[in-house]
Amino acid sequence: MNIISTKNLSKEYSSKSFSKEKILALNNFSFEVESGEIFGILGPNGAGKTTLIKILLGITHRTKGEIKIFDKEISDESYKKKIGYLPENHKFPSYLTGEQVLTFFGKLSGMNNNDVKNKSDEYLKLVDMEKWRSTKIKKYSKGMLQRLGLAQSMLNSPELIFLDEPTDGVDPIGRKEIRDILCSLKKEGKTIFLNSHLLSEVELICDKVAILNKGTLVKSGRVEDITALSNNYKFSTSEIEERTLNELLNNYKATINARNEFSYSAGNVENLNQLIDFLRENNVLIHSIVQEKDTLENMFINLIESQN
Amino acid sequence: MIFLTLLFSTFREAVAKKIFLGFFAIATIIILVFLFLINVDSVEGMVDMMEFSGEEGVKQLVIGFEVAMINISYLLIITFCFISVSSFIPSMLEKGNIDLLLSKPVSRTKIILAKFLGGVLLIFLSLCYLIGFVWLILSLKSGFWHFPFLYSILWLTLSFAVIYALIILVGLVSQSTILSIIISFFLVFIVCPILYVREEAIFSLVSNSGAQFVINFLYNVLPKPSDINNITMNMITGEPVKSYMPVYSSLLFMLAALSVSIIYFKKKDY
Repeated sequence: MNIISTKNLSKEYSSKSFSKEKILALNNFSFEVESGEIFGILGPNGAGKTTLIKILLGITHRTKGEIKIFDKEISDESYKKKIGYLPENHKFPSYLTGEQVLTFFGKLSGMNNNDVKNKSDEYLKLVDMEKWRSTKIKKYSKGMLQRLGLAQSMLNSPELIFLDEPTDGVDPIGRKEIRDILCSLKKEGKTIFLNSHLLSEVELICDKVAILNKGTLVKSGRVEDITALSNNYKFSTSEIEERTLNELLNNYKATINARNEFSYSAGNVENLNQLIDFLRENNVLIHSIVQEKDTLENMFINLIESQN
Repeated sequence: MIFLTLLFSTFREAVAKKIFLGFFAIATIIILVFLFLINVDSVEGMVDMMEFSGEEGVKQLVIGFEVAMINISYLLIITFCFISVSSFIPSMLEKGNIDLLLSKPVSRTKIILAKFLGGVLLIFLSLCYLIGFVWLILSLKSGFWHFPFLYSILWLTLSFAVIYALIILVGLVSQSTILSIIISFFLVFIVCPILYVREEAIFSLVSNSGAQFVINFLYNVLPKPSDINNITMNMITGEPVKSYMPVYSSLLFMLAALSVSIIYFKKKDY
């Protein structure tokens, strides 16, 4: 079942106030997010990721296109009761304590006093902020604010959670904890819409990703499909003689890492077998041949560079 | 429930920003000064003298004090109120805060109305404290319980509400606290008083009928805190109120400013 679906979603901004010149922030963007998955949205700065999230949440208005969340048009605001949101660089009223922040936003989400109290206890504990609950948030560090923001986004037990840079400013241990929380939310059947610049993080936890560039969807799909296997092979061998190494370097354009290790970019399987024959003819013992997998980061950089 | 949460948050913001505390301190100083004044020998002597001259004399003295109080309230308190509440909208619109607020299941209309009613209620309660205490002191001291003075709380609140609606509109469009303060001050303390005395002060200098039409038009369109203040005085002193038109047109201005604010806020991208 699709939790989010958009069709030909577009957003135009005026470049300046009262100017007729338009900037296309989103261009005929169509995508779908299925229930229970972690969906990552990727793209360089200014690609339209935050605009997309804001449109989905009704913070920014679309210029044209269809949006359905929980199978309903978003002009009906009732869907907001079932969503949670952690904005990038969120700003809670600094005069509130951590607990008061949760109470305020919980009540705005339509929760009653008892639910707010019980859920606040539960989520403050989950994000390891229990002992800071009565401290004014102006004394919080960036990482603590992120943890509180995450608790706030989960407070109303939403079915769909939008997270905009959730690990921004959080130390590596905290990041790991947040990743674990997201994975446990997924196990509970929640759908998570994640915007993060940390591609390694996205690769670790996301089921599907969409890549945006200049407001246009350039690629989308399951992470393992997008980071498809490349034609690069890593060879581990016995020690190779100087003459053979030179031949590998000049004729096969291999990248030599050590006298017993090199990488080879084979255009096809025939080339790969030809190289194996060559090595065997030269009495080189092959210990292993590993097909290299592209990282999400490599794929992303190559894709965006080719686009630009 | 959601509306009350928003309303309460305005109060909480006012408390956190020491607005209530500041108002309470100023009001308390005014009450103490007032208490001191009516207990000084010369004033006590005057009260005795008025009592000697009959009930009417006491009434006149009490009304004199009340009129002075309204003038102080109008200038000091309304000024303080404008400065206090002008930051409500710009601080709400700060990036990272407004995003979160708009992602909640609460309509933009309710957000604006809650901010408006929260501010108005805040000032109403503050005026209740100040005017209520002064009224109590005067009544206990003189034995003359003059209720029309208490109604001035409503008139002063109305004056504030009309300008606050404009402050909200300016705050939404400009997202600037300073600009909101400047515009409200300019309107209340310069434009409105000048338009109030337009016939005596301006029309004697400007004879052009076109210019006079524009000035009259501005007078009719803009809020009239000076006129409302005058109506308040008339009610306290028992003089007849010539016309309630300034009240109706100010209310209309308030509704128009609020409506434009809501429409603007609903259409705006954040």
